[in-house]
Amino acid sequence: MRKSSLTRGHFKAGIDAVRGAKLRSFWTMFGVIIGVVSVITIIGIGQGVSRQVTGQIHHLGNDLITVRPAQLHPGGDHGNGSVSLLSDSSGLSGTLRTHDITTVAGVKGVAASAPLTIVTGKVTGDQGNYDQGFVIGTGTDLDSLLNQSVAYGSFLTSDDEGSNAAVLGPHAAEALFNEDVPLGRSFNFHGQRFIVRGIFNNFTTTPLTQETDFNNAIFIPNEVAQDLANNAAPTYEILAKPSNPKQVNQVADSIQRALDRSHGGQSNLSVSRGNQNVVASQDILSLLTKLVAGVAAISLLVGGVGIMNVMLVSVSERTHEIGIRKAVGATNRQILSQFMVEAATLSVIGGTIGVVLALAIDGLMRAFTDIRPAISWQTVVLAFGVSLVVGVIFGTIPALKAARRDPIEALRSE
Amino acid sequence: MPLIEVQDVSKLYGFGDASTLALDEVSLKIEKGECVAVMGPSGCGKSTLMNIIGLLDRPTHGSYKFDSKPVGRLRPNQAAKIRRDSIGFIFQSFNFLPRLTTLENVALPLVYKGVSVSRRIKLASEMLERVGVQNREYFLPGQLSGGQAQCAAIARALVNNPKLIIADEPTGNLDSASSLLVMELLADIHKSGNTVIFVTHNPELTRYATRVLYMHDGQIVHDEKTALGRVATTARKVLYTLPAAVNEDDVLAGVSAIMKAIPSKLTTPRPKRKKTKAKPIKRTAAKKRRQS
Ligand SMILES: Nc1ncnc2c1ncn2[C@@H]1O[C@H](COP(=O)(O)OP(=O)(O)O)[C@@H](O)[C@H]1O
Ligand SMILES: [Mg+2]
Repeated sequence: MRKSSLTRGHFKAGIDAVRGAKLRSFWTMFGVIIGVVSVITIIGIGQGVSRQVTGQIHHLGNDLITVRPAQLHPGGDHGNGSVSLLSDSSGLSGTLRTHDITTVAGVKGVAASAPLTIVTGKVTGDQGNYDQGFVIGTGTDLDSLLNQSVAYGSFLTSDDEGSNAAVLGPHAAEALFNEDVPLGRSFNFHGQRFIVRGIFNNFTTTPLTQETDFNNAIFIPNEVAQDLANNAAPTYEILAKPSNPKQVNQVADSIQRALDRSHGGQSNLSVSRGNQNVVASQDILSLLTKLVAGVAAISLLVGGVGIMNVMLVSVSERTHEIGIRKAVGATNRQILSQFMVEAATLSVIGGTIGVVLALAIDGLMRAFTDIRPAISWQTVVLAFGVSLVVGVIFGTIPALKAARRDPIEALRSE
Repeated sequence: MPLIEVQDVSKLYGFGDASTLALDEVSLKIEKGECVAVMGPSGCGKSTLMNIIGLLDRPTHGSYKFDSKPVGRLRPNQAAKIRRDSIGFIFQSFNFLPRLTTLENVALPLVYKGVSVSRRIKLASEMLERVGVQNREYFLPGQLSGGQAQCAAIARALVNNPKLIIADEPTGNLDSASSLLVMELLADIHKSGNTVIFVTHNPELTRYATRVLYMHDGQIVHDEKTALGRVATTARKVLYTLPAAVNEDDVLAGVSAIMKAIPSKLTTPRPKRKKTKAKPIKRTAAKKRRQS
């Protein structure tokens, strides 16, 4: 009973101080607000990005096998998708050839495979030249390998092999024909007419080749592509999937061995599994998470120092008040708990404002950018809880000093 | 048994050359039920003595027993509890928390005693009624007149039903009508059995005292019992040499007149111990003001 009314008294005093010294309170809360907003926003963006990335990896599946020229590191020296073109012209053995495609398709346990061959040249549609787009020769399994569905029409089928059929990424469809469903329409490439068979749904993933956006791509049968380029078009990647996802390692090894054999012992081709990439990107993600946590901790600390600063000023401004309270019989502990309650009150109010602001910023980011922050309740609780603790600790440190003041000395100030 | 027993108490402020001896081996006993007026020139140590008796400050040397318990060396929290439960302090400058209402200010000592909110409001309200400012409960202190504020301050001092009321120049900021109001209130409190100590520069107000202490340079130079309702003898000698008005310069003149009126002790002051440089400067400053 005694205790509770005591605390109520302090709470009242805390509230009162908050009510009375609005500006000072605002600046105290400002530290907490900044801390909470930055923690929630930064962690939210971090988690949103990692969710997007893991979503992509998931989307592609862990059982995807990729065959590439060995020297070719994705995103390496050249930093764009055309890197494979350059390495091809070097004529080294680290180049994928047409017979490699059949080798991979023939390996036991491979359920589906498709090459990705780049054909250079101008694409001309209703809207004139399409410079951003690029033409990829591929096989009929690509859609299932990428887990990518077709929005209109269908993907290339075995009937289309050797014929001038094409399937477009949604941006390519838009750019070439300025309509969403240009099925049956045609465009010119290397002097030949190509008929549009299907339009892909929007690619949310950029399958393992960072710089090529498949939304801009035009897919044609691989044989047609090689014919157009006089069999000189570089295949920069062969994708494959095992019939049994659990055997992805064995199948990948079989592919490696088959390729080595067909190249006379050493192929200079590298075979990697999808989940190798997953492992790599999860390393990056955990690094990212640590970075985010570090930045968040710093912003909370900055908020805490802000609170401490304002509380220091507040304490010295209020020395006279402390003197009066001590003169009428407040003990050091009572003064201290008053300041603690005050700091806690400010932190809670500041924390609440911070959460609301962070949610508003989240909404704005969703509305006006393509960042999709993921704010979990754990993040909110963490930001709120830590800011409360930081606020109370940093708010109480100056109060410790204040509480020890001699009453008469405190009264004499002002 | 005396309520207050001060023995050889000294108070030294500062260090070395800059130190001030504010109290110089003061000894004093005050019985329960006395009403003591303390007079003396500015800077003679009245406030220092009040603060030590009120446990707001601690003596540098000497012993102090309050209610038979030694309190000169108490830890801050123990002193706080005695202040809260047994001592009501009234300041010249009221010392209210400006953002609390008058009622909340009066209830403040009860907060630290752990009294429930409803009871706090009831007690504080009763106390304000007793001092005659119940219709100003929800005013902020800044909205009260000086007299009302000092009455409310008395209510705050009384709210915990203390054994001792200390008032350091309670009428120092008030006009003469308000001064009388405040003094009547203190006299009333004294009549109801409380022990009261008040500091004043106005010899008239010794009418309310049963005893008058005259201080000079950190010492009690004269201690006189007096009858209630009469100006103390020593003070009276001064009073009739003065015009009726009580502005600051007159008060200073009156004080020095008191000093002249006190026969032996003051004219042959004790050999001094450590004395400040600041103090003579202060006194010449006062003299200059008087001359201008
Ligand atoms: N905190 C302090 N530091 C230094 N000197 C002080 C302090 N408080 C009071 N003094 C000095 O002690 C002396 C007595 O002061 P005080 O008790 O306030 O006098 P009074 O109340 O009689 O006017 C004065 O000379 C004053 O300057
Ligand atoms: Mg004084």
